[in-house]
Amino acid sequence: MMPTSPAKRPRPLSPNIQIYRPQLTSVLSIANRISGVVLSLGAVVLVIWLLAAAAGPEAYAVVQGALASWLGQVVLFGCTFAFFLHLCGGIRHLVWDMGYGYELSLIYASGWAVVAGSVALTVLAWIASLLLGD
Amino acid sequence: MDRQHMRSPLARAMGLGSAKKGVEHWWAERVLAVALIPLTLWFVASIIAQTGSDHATFITWLRMPVTTIMMVLLLVALFHHTALGPQVVIEDYRHAGSKFAALVIMRLTCFGLATAGIIAVLHIAFGG
Amino acid sequence: MMIIRSSDQVPRTTLLKRFPVPRNLGVGPESRIGRGKTWPALAGAVRVKAFEIYRYDPDSDDNPRLDTFEVDLDDCGPMVLDALIWIKNKVDPTLTFRRSCREGICGSCAMTMDGTNWLACTRFISDMAAPATVYPLANMRIIKDLVPDLTHVFAQYAMIEPWLQTRTPEPERERPQSPEERSRLDGYYECILCFCCTSGCPSHWWNGDRFLGPAALLQAYRWLADSRDEATGERLDILEDPFRLYRCHTILNCTRTCPKGLNPGKAIAEIKKMVLERRT
Repeated sequence: MMPTSPAKRPRPLSPNIQIYRPQLTSVLSIANRISGVVLSLGAVVLVIWLLAAAAGPEAYAVVQGALASWLGQVVLFGCTFAFFLHLCGGIRHLVWDMGYGYELSLIYASGWAVVAGSVALTVLAWIASLLLGD
Repeated sequence: MDRQHMRSPLARAMGLGSAKKGVEHWWAERVLAVALIPLTLWFVASIIAQTGSDHATFITWLRMPVTTIMMVLLLVALFHHTALGPQVVIEDYRHAGSKFAALVIMRLTCFGLATAGIIAVLHIAFGG
Repeated sequence: MMIIRSSDQVPRTTLLKRFPVPRNLGVGPESRIGRGKTWPALAGAVRVKAFEIYRYDPDSDDNPRLDTFEVDLDDCGPMVLDALIWIKNKVDPTLTFRRSCREGICGSCAMTMDGTNWLACTRFISDMAAPATVYPLANMRIIKDLVPDLTHVFAQYAMIEPWLQTRTPEPERERPQSPEERSRLDGYYECILCFCCTSGCPSHWWNGDRFLGPAALLQAYRWLADSRDEATGERLDILEDPFRLYRCHTILNCTRTCPKGLNPGKAIAEIKKMVLERRT
């Protein structure tokens, strides 16, 4: 390899994420990561909720009211979807970590199963919640 | 930059050498993930069952020994997993000195939140 | 053994051609890509396909650019490499790329075509979008046009010490290996070091200075799996590191893109299992 003289400008870096095709493998990987970060924020809400319950009925009512609001429901729905996505994706990762499921056809089959499973479980959870809430 | 350029490609690839560590973090994250499958499913199912319940009902539920135990276990596993996961995210994307600050803040926040959550549960369970 | 039936392993239909990020997101000033020129088809060409090709001339002060070449398909072979050779012979002799065997065994002509890595000699032009896009291997320093500087990834390959290591005095004849032991190397020894996988790995994009990448790790496992090797522990010592090995997040773009149908993702999982096994 020819030494680069200091006067010469650096070689360009060929594009990566700017041109690389999003595919089920990379999209579900980043989705698992984003849902994990969302759930970290959801965990903060969980602690606030528990602290409010410990503080007494007034504080608890304030938090319950916030969660029942339009914005609170959107946040809860997002957390539910993030939870089921992270759960299904996490189980897929655990199977991989045991050394199974690496055939390309299985990678794609399990990937679509994660997508379908997390959507279905989110919808089911909210139907159950709405039925019980009334 | 110039000094970096004088190093051989192999020296640059070797960097500071192998940490000869890493499996503990990876293994703990997976063990906690396994623990979180039943714990979180129990939690989500319970929350759905508790939809719309008032403070008194909620407190009664949380005071049941099984609920208290499950809740504390959930908080421990959840925040331990939450300390390990975002650590990797920070290491992936932050490379400057800000990495260390972010890691310290993230870890301390997880400790604080876990402690606050557990104390709240125990306060409800054993409080007057 | 893998017989290449089509120029890809799974259909490449996707909702998005690329991630919705700005074209020059986080790109250094020397790497920004400008508009190049168009080389129209010769008069009389009937079946024409446009190829957008990344160009970079190190002898000029210009930034990289995207040139468009209109290729006469009736005058050109069926593979993307044929199109590149056609352009070099008929249109612009300065177009620079590596190629040798033209049959998927040397690994020279690996590049990013329509957003995934593959060998130009085993990808059909008919499988390419219109216009077809051809970039050098993603996330590499570029020497010229489609020629990436592979110094760093080969240094990472050297790090895993890809040769048989033994302490037992050399036997008079060969080192015996049962057919079963030999079969454990299947799916790993066939790697041609084209670096399609490493170049397609997002974790290597962000931490390529420290993460070894799928190609080097698959090769590392090839030596860990070799029953004749006597340096397994030392090899695992080299690998067990939060960045060198554990920066792999099982994204599996590697397995998805390997033009030899190999499975770097599976190889890395086996390494992680070995590291765990010696600790528990």
